[in-house]
This record gives sequence, structure tokens and C-alpha cells, in this order.
Amino acid sequence: MKNVMGLIYTTKNDITMRELTSTRAVAALPVVGRYRMIDFMLSNMVNSGIRNVGVIVQKNYHSLMDHLGSGQEWDLHTKTDGLSILPPFQTREDVGNYEGTLDALRSNIGYLRRAKQEYVILTGSYGVFSATYDDFVTQHIESSADISVMYSKSYSESRIFSSMAGNHAYFKLDDDGSVMDIEIGPNVPTYPNFSMTVLLMKRTLLMHLVDQAVAHGMHDIHKDLLSYYVKNKLLKVKGFEYEGYHRCIESISSYYRFNMDMLDYNTRQEVFGLHPIYTKVRDEVPANYLRGAVANNSLVADGCIIEGTVINSVLFRGVRVRRGAVVKNSVIMQECDIQDGVEVDNVIFDKAVTIRSGKLVGQAAYPIVIGKGITL
Amino acid sequence: MRHKQCIAMLLAGGQGSRLGLLTQTLAKPAVPFGGKYRIIDFPLSNCSNSGIDTVGVLTQYQPLELNHYIGSGQPWGLDLNNGGVFVLPPYVKGKSGEWYKGTANAIYQNMTFIEQYDPDYVLVLSGDHIYKMDYNRMLSSHMKNGADVTIAVRPVPWEEAPSFGIMNTDDENNVIEFEEKPKNPKSNNASMGVYVFTWSVLKQYLIEDEADKKSKNDFGHSIIPKMLNNKLKLMAYSFEDYWKDVGTIHSLWEANMDLIEDPPKFNLYDKNWRIYARNPIQPPHYVGARAVTTGSLITEGCEVFGTVHHSVLFADAKVHEGAIVEDSIIMPGSVIMPGAIIRRAVIGEGCVIGENCIVGAEGDSDIALVGSGTVMPKDFRVLPGEQVSQAECDQKEGTDK
Repeated sequence: MKNVMGLIYTTKNDITMRELTSTRAVAALPVVGRYRMIDFMLSNMVNSGIRNVGVIVQKNYHSLMDHLGSGQEWDLHTKTDGLSILPPFQTREDVGNYEGTLDALRSNIGYLRRAKQEYVILTGSYGVFSATYDDFVTQHIESSADISVMYSKSYSESRIFSSMAGNHAYFKLDDDGSVMDIEIGPNVPTYPNFSMTVLLMKRTLLMHLVDQAVAHGMHDIHKDLLSYYVKNKLLKVKGFEYEGYHRCIESISSYYRFNMDMLDYNTRQEVFGLHPIYTKVRDEVPANYLRGAVANNSLVADGCIIEGTVINSVLFRGVRVRRGAVVKNSVIMQECDIQDGVEVDNVIFDKAVTIRSGKLVGQAAYPIVIGKGITL
Repeated sequence: MRHKQCIAMLLAGGQGSRLGLLTQTLAKPAVPFGGKYRIIDFPLSNCSNSGIDTVGVLTQYQPLELNHYIGSGQPWGLDLNNGGVFVLPPYVKGKSGEWYKGTANAIYQNMTFIEQYDPDYVLVLSGDHIYKMDYNRMLSSHMKNGADVTIAVRPVPWEEAPSFGIMNTDDENNVIEFEEKPKNPKSNNASMGVYVFTWSVLKQYLIEDEADKKSKNDFGHSIIPKMLNNKLKLMAYSFEDYWKDVGTIHSLWEANMDLIEDPPKFNLYDKNWRIYARNPIQPPHYVGARAVTTGSLITEGCEVFGTVHHSVLFADAKVHEGAIVEDSIIMPGSVIMPGAIIRRAVIGEGCVIGENCIVGAEGDSDIALVGSGTVMPKDFRVLPGEQVSQAECDQKEGTDK
């Protein structure tokens, strides 16, 4: 994979997740006890042997930069290539704010031009799956397609919950796997092939397309660019089915459901058992279960101290569940403190939430979200 | 190379033979401890937190895993351009070249390394102990007193004193006598194996000691007694906090148990004095629907479906349904199969304890040990105090057939 570079765009889609994304990009959203969303896309690239990865950032990217650092945890702190963080910047022709992915790419065309790799894999940052791109790249080269796209059929059930359906793309494929049509944001999709927003093409082609697209006022890769080239049969676009577990995290409910999915052994194996998922190290002490602790069907990160009861929940690093407290069906982020006797059920707590007393009960389909640093 | 005020030399070459099967293919400083650490994480993290950024690690016995673990020193913030951590094995020099003959000889053989930094002081550490200590305060005390050597000491129980190097001091903390493992100790101030030397003084003694063919080339046996004889200024620096020599299976087990007392006897939660370790890259641990976990430390990558009580589980350990783990430590990657019962035991790395095996026993019994990599057949029995490796398991299999 020395001949493939990776680009992850982390712009847009930050509005729908209320408190959780008010201070951070979706890419920096904490998930499954110790990860951030971007860890999955980055790890997939690194596990595929990709050594040159650019991360295009736009809004609220401080926590993302803090998380990625030099790229050391992903072995991307190399002499040549490695990790590049690409924030927006203003120039004469560049207003500094990206209208869409294509604008972002246009601003970073210099980075693309300087890269030495022949191919580029371009992905969004709100998808979760664990795979290498080996077969995807092999198929692309053998099929002599101009562009290859990854799709999944397993996503259909969760779209109902998503307020982001307007941005979802579905592919119509012929017998050969070539993309014949693209549907953008249908309420009831005609085709089962859900786009995972993973694209592969020659680097030079991407540069050309970006230049052309911006010149024609296109902003979005799927909506504008891919649709145009497929409809007019100007490029050969080929689909590649990914059969494993895949989710898009783009709403509170999909975020909640993904964390809960990880409590299932087989699903967890699909995400964490096949390839390592790398993340920033925090040097926490192993989790400590004191006398009287009860923990069932839960994922618990290092640094937690548990004295109370934890059931069907995901606890991030450094969470305290004190004596007599009960945490059920909940996602509790880093450094939260659930104090003596407090009961919570179906909640999502952002970082450093402290609950002093009382009871907080949400619903599985609509969990209660408490923003960062709040004390109740 | 820029001048450094103080650099550390960490003696990590010992076999730790009293740890039996655990150190058969592993240097003692690389022995896992406390769920996610190895013994060497403690002196390395202490150096890093004390602002001592140049550390030579002297290795000799089974160094592969230790070298791999230390790597670039990045987990401890010791991957620096000017300084950092260096693994220093013995090497051939001209026509000569030999193993490290003793602790002093190990430092002697690396004088060139030390001289590169032109240090004023050299901190000598060992990779055998669990403790948190600000070496910088000890260095300040050494400088303030204008001492030639400062030796960290701590009180030990009188009955244990005969197994330590005992420092007898006057009212002003000057060391007046040193007794190595005395039968009738005059004090219970034991040396912790932590020394600050003024480098110019130590250098001269190392050269003289090397020339002395009868010398044991050891700090405790030769260098310190000679310095005392020559009336150098030797100071004791008292350290009262937690410190534990983990040289035996029982003390290693006990030190792990100290972490899960409530409140813990040894506190790892100090945010200003974190203990760093190389990360195993595993998801958070999972506790199953019928799992019982009380009074225990459990770390990333573990899967618990059975009962874990008053125990320490290391990365990637698995306890299957119906298995019971009590008062035990399960090292990285080991699997406890359904129905197995582990009590007062140390299970090495990468073991499989078969179904319905019984390892160790309750009460005050001696600690049972299962050596790393042992795949135990089902219904196997390990008695308290027994040490079992693959060979014993295979033998049992043979007689059963």
C-alpha cells in the first residue's frame, strides 16, 4: 500500500448531535470507552499499510489536533509522509471556510500535488468499521475503474432514526458491480447499496475532478460530482461491497446504538478483534472494582473506580460510580462522577459530568444527553 | 553532547532467580506488575517525573523482551534528541570484553557513556522495586549536604532486616557503618538500592576497584565499604513512603494485593506522579452478564464472564463462565477456562488453565505459580506453593494415558 495515500475529511455534519458536537468535530467524538471517531478511519488506513494520511479539518478542530498530535500512536510520525493535519486557511482565492468537501480538497490541492502515491483513498469521518483496504484496492486496479466506492447493505435498519438521511447516498449497480445511478437522501431508498463514503481513485484524477468541480460550482462529492459523472457516463465507477459491521454515527440515537452494539461479543469482535484500533494513550490505572461493586454486560475503561452498580453500559476512562449509585443502559464519558445513591438509566453524559443526587431516566430511543462539565 | 547535571544508570541485568519460572525467559525488570505495568515502569516513570531525562538501562540477562519494551522510551517521555533512555548491554572492547561482573563493574564498563554527558552527579537505581520517589529531592539533599554519596534508606521490619543492606547512621544522617545482610542488625534502616554519587568521586573509585583483582566489583560489597573506610561523606536519605522489593513470588503477589486494598496501600492515582507504561492497544475490558467483579483491578482487553474477587487481571486476560479467581494475579493474555478455580496464585503470561483445574488454595497457604505459556490440561491440580510449567503438565498427561 505504499502507492496509496489517505485523506480523511472531518467537515460538516456537526450540527445534528446537539451537546456532543457543540465543542468538537464528529471526528473527535469519544466512543466505546477510550476511542475517538477518527481512530477507526485512521486505523483502517494504517492497518492497510498506508503511510501518508491527510486529515482535513474545519470547525472546532482543537480537540482533534490534541488527539492526533504527531500521529505517533498510529505510527504516522515518520520522516517522509506520515500524518498531516490540514486546517482551513485564507488566501486570495480562498475564503477560509469550506462550502463542502470539494472546496476543502481544492484548498489542499498543493498537499495532493506534492504526494508521491499513485492512488488516494478519500473517506469521511463519521463511519465506523474495521477492515483493511487491500481487497478494495486490488479490485480497483483489476477492474480498471476510474473510481471505486465502498458500499454496505447492512445499514438499512438504522437510517430510520437518522436525521441525516438527506445526505445519504445509495448506489444502483449493474451485474458487473458498476454504478449506474446514485440516489441522494431518499426517504425510501430504491437501492440497498448504502455508500460508506469511501472513495478510491488515482491521485491525478482526484486533482483534476476537484479543479473541474469547483470551476462548475460543485461542493459535495456525492451530490454534485459523483452524480454528474455517473449520470453522464463520463467515468467508470465501480462498487465494492463491505460485508462486515458498519455504522454511521450522525445522530444521538446512532451514537447511542453504536456504543450499545459493542456490548455484544460478536459485534465487538468484528470491530476490535480483527485489526488493532489505535488511539491516544492516557496512562490511566487499571479499573478498580471495590467491595460491593456490581458490573454486568458492560465495557469499562481504565481509570474507573466502581463501588456501585453498572449494568448494560459503556464507561469511559476515569469514571467514578460511587456507593449505592446505579448506572444502567448508559454511555458515560471520561471523568464523570456518579455520586452516592444516584440512579441513571438511558443517559449519555459528556466528559466530566457530576451528578450529586437524584434520578435521571431517559428512553432507549431518546436518551437524555448532558453536556460537558455540567454538575447536577 | 550537552552537559547534564545528573543522569541515571538503572541496573536491570539481574536474573531475579527467586522469581523462579517467571524469570526463566524474562529479565526481572520486565516482569508484569499491577495490571498494566512492568517493574521497570516504576524507576523509569520516577526518572521522568523527577526531571531526570537521561537514563542508561544496563541489561544482561534475557534482554530481548526488556529491550523491546523500552524501545525508544516514548511511553515515559524519554525519546529525546538530547538525552533519553539507552539500553546498555555488555560489549566487546578491543581485544577484551566481558559480561558485567557486578553492579559496580557494570557502571565501570559504561564510563564512556556517562562521560558523554559530563554529569556532576550519577543516580544509580535498580529495576527490582515498586515505589514512587522524587529523585530530584534526594539530589537536592545530596548537593545541600555536599556529600560524596547519598544512599536512600527506609525502615524495614526488624525481623526482615537481616536480608537487607543495613545503614547505621549518626544523629545527622551520616552513614557510619554499613552491614550487608547482618545476622544481628544494629538498626532497621535498609538501603533501597538508590544512590546519588558525585561523579568525579565515583569515577575514581570505579577505576581503583576495577584494578583490584580481589574485589567483587559490587556497590554493596566493595565500593561503599571502601568509601566508608576512606572517611568520605556518606549521607543517608530517609524515605518513608511505600517501597517494596518484589524479589520473590510471595512479595510480588503481596505487592499486587497492596494495590487492591481499600484504600490502596500503594496509590497509583496521583495525577502529578503518573506511572507510565507501554500500552497494549486493546478496547476497554468487558464484564459479562453474569460476571462478578469485586475488590479487583481489571484492565483493557480483559473479558470476564466468571467470578473475580480480590485479584489483579492484566491486559487481555479472560475468565470464562463458572471460573473463580480469588486473591490471585493473572498476567497478560492468560485464559481461565470454565469451572477452573484459582486461589492465591500467580498465573504467568499467555497460559491456558484448563476446565475444572484447581490452582492454589484458600487460607494462609503458600502462593502457587504457573509459568508463562503453560497450557494446562483440564482437571489438573496445582498445590499451594507449587511451581508448575508446561513440562509438569505434559508429564501428568503422559501418566494419565
